[in-house]
Amino acid sequence: MPVPCRAGCGKNAMLKRPKTGDALCKECFFWAFETEIHFTITKGKLFKKGDSVAVAASGGKDSTVLAHVLKTLNERYNYGLNLMLLSIDEGITGYRDDSLETVKQNRDDYEMSLKILSYKELYGWTMDEIVAQIGRKNNCTFCGVFRRQALDRGAAMLNVKCIATGHNADDIAETVLMNVLRGDIARLKRCTAISTGSEGTIPRVKPLKYTYEKEIVMYAHYKRLVYFSTECVFAPNAYRGHARALLKDMEKIRPTCIMDIIYSGETMEVKEAVSLPSQRVCIRCNFVSSQEVCKACVLLEGLNKGLPKLGIGKSSKAKRMLEEYNAKQNKSLEEAINNINEEYEKNNCISKGKVCRSSCKSKQTAQINKTHKTTSETCCNGQSDEKLNTDNDITNSKVKVLLKEYGLSEATQDDSSNLISEKIDHSNTEKVANATNDDDFEVDSHNTDEQIVDEDDTCGGACGKIDSLHISF
Amino acid sequence: MICRKCSGPGSLIIRKEYCYCNDCFITNINHKFRACIGKNKILSPNEKVLICLSGDASSTVLLDLIHVGLSLNNHKKLRVIPYFLHIIERDSEGEEISKVIVEQCKNYNFNITLVNIDEYFNKNILCNDNTMKNHYQPSISKNILLNIPTSISEDVLTKMKQNIFIKIAKQLKCRIVFTAETTTLLATRLLSNIAIGRGSQVENDIGFADKREENVKILRPMREITNEEIDHYLRIKELNPATDILGKGYGTSLQSVIRNFVLDLQENYPATVSTICKTADKIGSVTDNVNKKKCIICQSNLDCNQLNLTAVDATMFSRKVSSKVINSNENLKHIEEGNNLMFPFIYEKLCYCCSRNISQLNDPMLQTLVCRNDDK
Repeated sequence: MPVPCRAGCGKNAMLKRPKTGDALCKECFFWAFETEIHFTITKGKLFKKGDSVAVAASGGKDSTVLAHVLKTLNERYNYGLNLMLLSIDEGITGYRDDSLETVKQNRDDYEMSLKILSYKELYGWTMDEIVAQIGRKNNCTFCGVFRRQALDRGAAMLNVKCIATGHNADDIAETVLMNVLRGDIARLKRCTAISTGSEGTIPRVKPLKYTYEKEIVMYAHYKRLVYFSTECVFAPNAYRGHARALLKDMEKIRPTCIMDIIYSGETMEVKEAVSLPSQRVCIRCNFVSSQEVCKACVLLEGLNKGLPKLGIGKSSKAKRMLEEYNAKQNKSLEEAINNINEEYEKNNCISKGKVCRSSCKSKQTAQINKTHKTTSETCCNGQSDEKLNTDNDITNSKVKVLLKEYGLSEATQDDSSNLISEKIDHSNTEKVANATNDDDFEVDSHNTDEQIVDEDDTCGGACGKIDSLHISF
Repeated sequence: MICRKCSGPGSLIIRKEYCYCNDCFITNINHKFRACIGKNKILSPNEKVLICLSGDASSTVLLDLIHVGLSLNNHKKLRVIPYFLHIIERDSEGEEISKVIVEQCKNYNFNITLVNIDEYFNKNILCNDNTMKNHYQPSISKNILLNIPTSISEDVLTKMKQNIFIKIAKQLKCRIVFTAETTTLLATRLLSNIAIGRGSQVENDIGFADKREENVKILRPMREITNEEIDHYLRIKELNPATDILGKGYGTSLQSVIRNFVLDLQENYPATVSTICKTADKIGSVTDNVNKKKCIICQSNLDCNQLNLTAVDATMFSRKVSSKVINSNENLKHIEEGNNLMFPFIYEKLCYCCSRNISQLNDPMLQTLVCRNDDK
């Protein structure tokens, strides 16, 4: 028997809304669905008139519906927003490559500009490569951490006021449950916030926070929106799956429980006595972090050093792993030093001019460094290491081995009487050592220029230094 | 199999990892129980304590632990004056269970008070001289509980029992109530609480002490003990609980789904239960409690509607946009006002969850429940 639409429009209902149990016809559902999101946006004060907003687009149902609804509402209620799409290409064959095609379709359909950033470009690794390293477990950790930061980077490039993500009510309820199960109190606190972001960072907003996944699917279906519906090929092993399964079971029994869980999350608070990590900026890459060095940098470091487990589990574990790694590297450092000593002795026999030539080389190195910085403005050390590795000559690869060591063992760095510091331009060493430490690697180009000038100066000085040493010998 | 405590031959393994011999295990459980009471420094010597027994495995162990504590003759003697209470529940087995519990208490030489759950609506429960069988009052609670979804009835039942505990404790002039929740039970309760919108009440519902009532504190001295340990304890001491361990499930409910989920997860991730409980210890509520209004059903502080936008607003708005004929934008303002059927009495008399529960009852019962407690 057909059920009449609850809104009293006279048509027959097409669906029953899980949130309230009301049966609605297609048109009334569209209107209710969109109006609710409008309510969330206005009551939650998510946007300001004239803002540029990046819609984080994966090509999935949530982001497709988000882009569609934002465009609709922007026109209907005159938000005055400048909307654009931002996609991250994780490099997952059979998943992201296909879904990006959908995003491109969205771009054309909704007439928004589209920016795609890839993990390969940003971090030097695709998810496929990462999974090959780490295996099927824990890979979502990498993907999630990298994507979070990649979105920030993309938003910074697009110069937008905020990022709108397609998190729906189910996602948020699921996250609340997961954080309770994992005992992650810090995330529990912020996961239900409709708008997140501390000072100096680009805020993220969730216009679909109170929208049920089921309704999103129905909306996309009835509106015939093009979206990509395959689940990520790597996802099935994630811990989140447990929380998701639980939520789905509970939703069957009591559909309102999703809203109930969100309400719980909103009204819970971490007790004052509990110490929480405060959000700040990573000292290496300058993006949001709760630690001195952000998770993305730690994970990347692990990947680049062949210790993919580095960022997974307790930080004490990571420390131990690094120590072991350093111990191993120290051995090879000694070898490297010996090598260089030999070479130095060779060089020693030759004239002063020879030494000068080597200093020119280091100038060259600085130049190469400079190009790296300009190409990938805000890259982490790992990546720059890798590039150095690939496009420099033998001398440089040796230098690189050294640099790596310098980043790790301060003792060697301090040892100024060590011959290395004389062989290689002193300031250059220090600088790249810094890069390995990544104290100040995020560089705006202005800063870089200054450094280069500095290096030129000290280069001359260093030549003189070596020279004067000769004399004193 | 070597006991990790005394290095003698072990006889049981906890969490697939820790081996104990029987004696060391029992000592350990006794210690956990006493330490939990001791470190919180709430009891004063010769405190009158109302001990509530449901008849399940953990309450059977609680009874035994109390007995052990009282029979000690050294400085470790448990210095409390115990009063025992059992609430007879709605189902047919209720009477049977109560008989077993009375028997158990007799073996320990304890007296126990029996109260029928229907007494919830009675003001002076104990004046009725404990003969409930021919009671004139029709079973209101039974009616209420049978006519609402099981997820709600489980919650309502818990709240009703708690209110009875408090009432009787007051009549007996006990400042302290003991209940027998284990870590495992509290872990599932935390998730249930969150699932039904009682997130802000976690501190009182899962923590060691429920301090919602000013003069009576409900304590949970078994909160460091897991169901696994309860089973071993029962086996070693050859005790038989009056009813099975997890309490009877009344059909499929949110709570039963969560219970199964936690137990399953516990199999593969043994730290699950303790992690969940540790989380509970760190959760407070947003309510700054300026107005000091309390929910008249569960006595929790009411959340004030100070957040800009909450799930309540969103749900009420959903109801409004899907029930009126207003397909034009000028009427949007109008929609935001209007009366509130989704959440009766919210922020005024009831907390979110109790309000949601009430909205599921039909009207006369709604009145009964709300008014009954109102004039207290």
